[in-house]
Amino acid sequence: MSLLQVEKIEVVYKRVITAVQGVTLSVGAKQIVAILGTNGAGKTTTLRAISGFLGLDDARITEGAISFAGRRIDNAPPHDITARGVVLVPERDKVFPNLTVAENLAVPVSRAGAAERRRQDEQIYQLFPRLAELRQRVGGLLSGGERQMLAIAGALMCRPRLLLVDELSLGLAPVVVQDLTRRLLAVRDELGIAILLVEQSAAAALTIADHAYVMENGRIVLDGDRERLKSHQDVQEFYLGQASGERRSYRAVKQYRRSRRWYG
Amino acid sequence: MFRPVPRASGYFRTGYGQDLALVQTRAERIGLAIFVVILAGFPFVASAFALDLACQVFLASVGALSLMLLTGYAGQISLGHAGLIAAGAFTTGILAREIHAPFWITLPASAVTGSVLGFVFGLPSLRLRGLYLAVSTLALHFVVIYLGGEYETKRGFSTGILVEPPSLAGFKLSGGRFWYFVLLAAAALSLLICINLLRSRSGRAFRAVHARETVAEALGISIAGTKLLAFVISSAMTSVAGCLFAYYRGFVSVEAFDLFLSIQYVAMIIIGGMGSLLGALLGAAFVTLFPYAIEALLHLLPNADKLAGDIFAVNYASFGVVMILFLVFEPLGLVGIWHRLQNYFLLWPFKYRPLAGARK
Amino acid sequence: MQLAVNIVVLASIYALIACGYVLIYRVSRVLNLAHGELMMLGAYMVLATASLFNGHPVIALAAAILLSLLVGVLVYVFLMRKMTGEMVLAAILTTVALGILIRGLVVLIWSAQQQYPAQALGVPNPSLVLFGGARVSMWSAVLVGTTVIVYAALFAFLRFGRWGMRMRAAGQNPLLAAQRGINLHGVYALAWSLSTLTGALAGILMALDSGVTGGMPVIGLKAFPAALVGGLDSLVGALAGSLIIAAAEVLLIYYVDPLLSDVVPFLVLIAMLIVRPWGLFGTREELDRV
Repeated sequence: MSLLQVEKIEVVYKRVITAVQGVTLSVGAKQIVAILGTNGAGKTTTLRAISGFLGLDDARITEGAISFAGRRIDNAPPHDITARGVVLVPERDKVFPNLTVAENLAVPVSRAGAAERRRQDEQIYQLFPRLAELRQRVGGLLSGGERQMLAIAGALMCRPRLLLVDELSLGLAPVVVQDLTRRLLAVRDELGIAILLVEQSAAAALTIADHAYVMENGRIVLDGDRERLKSHQDVQEFYLGQASGERRSYRAVKQYRRSRRWYG
Repeated sequence: MFRPVPRASGYFRTGYGQDLALVQTRAERIGLAIFVVILAGFPFVASAFALDLACQVFLASVGALSLMLLTGYAGQISLGHAGLIAAGAFTTGILAREIHAPFWITLPASAVTGSVLGFVFGLPSLRLRGLYLAVSTLALHFVVIYLGGEYETKRGFSTGILVEPPSLAGFKLSGGRFWYFVLLAAAALSLLICINLLRSRSGRAFRAVHARETVAEALGISIAGTKLLAFVISSAMTSVAGCLFAYYRGFVSVEAFDLFLSIQYVAMIIIGGMGSLLGALLGAAFVTLFPYAIEALLHLLPNADKLAGDIFAVNYASFGVVMILFLVFEPLGLVGIWHRLQNYFLLWPFKYRPLAGARK
Repeated sequence: MQLAVNIVVLASIYALIACGYVLIYRVSRVLNLAHGELMMLGAYMVLATASLFNGHPVIALAAAILLSLLVGVLVYVFLMRKMTGEMVLAAILTTVALGILIRGLVVLIWSAQQQYPAQALGVPNPSLVLFGGARVSMWSAVLVGTTVIVYAALFAFLRFGRWGMRMRAAGQNPLLAAQRGINLHGVYALAWSLSTLTGALAGILMALDSGVTGGMPVIGLKAFPAALVGGLDSLVGALAGSLIIAAAEVLLIYYVDPLLSDVVPFLVLIAMLIVRPWGLFGTREELDRV
């Protein structure tokens, strides 16, 4: 029984632009699932649809359903969804720039009592020791990697059961990305939180994902577990940058897009 | 902005003259002719009260059009409109009183004062935008009012300056019908100026600066020049309105130009519909006639006498309510309602416009 | 010496009013131009509660203050909540319209004459003598003390209180705040109610000192430059701005021209907008919030 079940959703912007069509995916408990794809594939829209923040861009889920732990959450108000345990780490503006690190961690709302929150704090500082050193530093003065850590830590303070991470690696050096992905793994292992990762950098995502989906033009074209994707020729060529030698004909390239057609 | 479906079955203009013409189809020409006949004949069939109302609407239209030019098209928010009207009125009053200047001197003088003041009001816009610009215009408005007040007390006109009616070749020009045609001409002239300005290069520059300053600058439009031009033209027009106001009322006093007057003008362009000259006219008519409508409504209520004493307060309260209603429920204003109505009939039995474009 | 006392009293009035502007702006980026009218409403409510709780001035005062809190929440829930997400100019004009509405209603309900809540409550207003021979009325002194207490409480709340931190967070990044479970509507309603509370305190204390008329909102409008000069999102700035403007006003009235009193705040404002538009202590933002 999966924790998050997205069933053939369609997301429409401004009533005329279909950004996502027929997307079906699922995240099991304590699983790390990645969504890969280039710009404009619809990954962030899917993530926003799940976390409930579509209204700002005048978009709606017009078809399909999203259920979390058995309850429908599509088009529900965002703080409801957060309260149920689905928390988003956004792509931009991910920390409070004029609050210190400690204040950034005190601000998120959760149903925990004071003692519980202190324990959580300790746990977070163990997972991200760098943040413990920076407790009094103001959020806007952190480096890119530290800011991303703070963003994840802030999301964890809401006690999620499912963490949605949008573009973890954007703007970060590869070494930092490696470090962060390892910490996400630790988050899953120690805190038992499922993670849905949206990533442009397939290499980084596939190091920790158990299962992954590839999106193109608003549809899912390929899915499978880590090994299958890593060894898939098209993924290797288009997403992992490992060209297989001679150029392939147009028909051959279309192959993997067609192979998903009867999966919807 | 929200445009209605074009009425003609296509654009078939074959020459620049046709392109620049103000009325295109025959139906529009006939409509305009009927409208002109009604306007011309109105003073001969209407009561003095109705005539006064019409005059007030025309006078307000000039101010509304100038504010629409500044805020609706060039995007520079101004809460100091009453200060500019006061400037025009005071120039007229001071010149008429101190040196007995005739109207063909005070009118241009008001325009000049308005231009200079507009330049001053416009200087903050080079550095500030939005909220801070609005606040700066507000502050400047208070400064103008203060100066007017200073003049009144220092020269002993503590209750205001009396202005004689304008005279031409010894004849005193006054009377309801005379003012009707003068103010109608002023409003029509303002409208024509605005239409032509907006169709010209400067008008397009206004819109460009309003939409995206950096892009406008990249296209070679001088941001500072455009903003200042908008302020100067708008303020000159407003001051002329102030001059006409002084002559029409015969009386200039600093209390008449309070913050509420500024807000009324802003309400005119919002209730009318931002970004549309028709909106300015509709808004001017609405806001000017509103107090009278409220008063008439009041007399229909049972306990009219009790409230009639506080008619001012009733006006305030109902004006606040109406403004809130428009801001919350109909941000596109009367023009938005009018376009929606038009579209409903033009598109019937369809509901949506044929092109599957974005909503705007 | 009397001048110094006058400056302190005027600065306290402006400061107590200005913190209302700052609270709402800092949290929701809306300029509440109805603050002066809401302040006046608080003062008039004392008249209402005075007749209701005849003979119990303390209860009447407390009731009026609680009512103002409620009014703040109601204004947000029924009016401003609909304007969140619209253009900021529209939100500001909505507050202006609300102010106009309140002005009309106040005259309709209570009449336009000057009224004296102190008399209605039956409390005295003696004149106290300070060192140096300066005189100050009791309620003015109470106002100064209240301003100090209010600012101290607000500082502590915003800096150390959990919901104060959440208010600051919502002001900096509303979207992220919502994603972290903060109910934005709740936070905004809290800001509005606190703002109306401080405004009502100012209005009530001023009314107890010198009566209330329909012209009270003018003082609210004069306090607005104090908030802006200090920086619209800074409490410290509001204090500093109030001191500067009060000093300028009192000194210029005394040495130059009494008529200047209404325009001095705006002259200082213009000077500040030329030199440093975001105020002494404000955050340097894009300045194009519309």
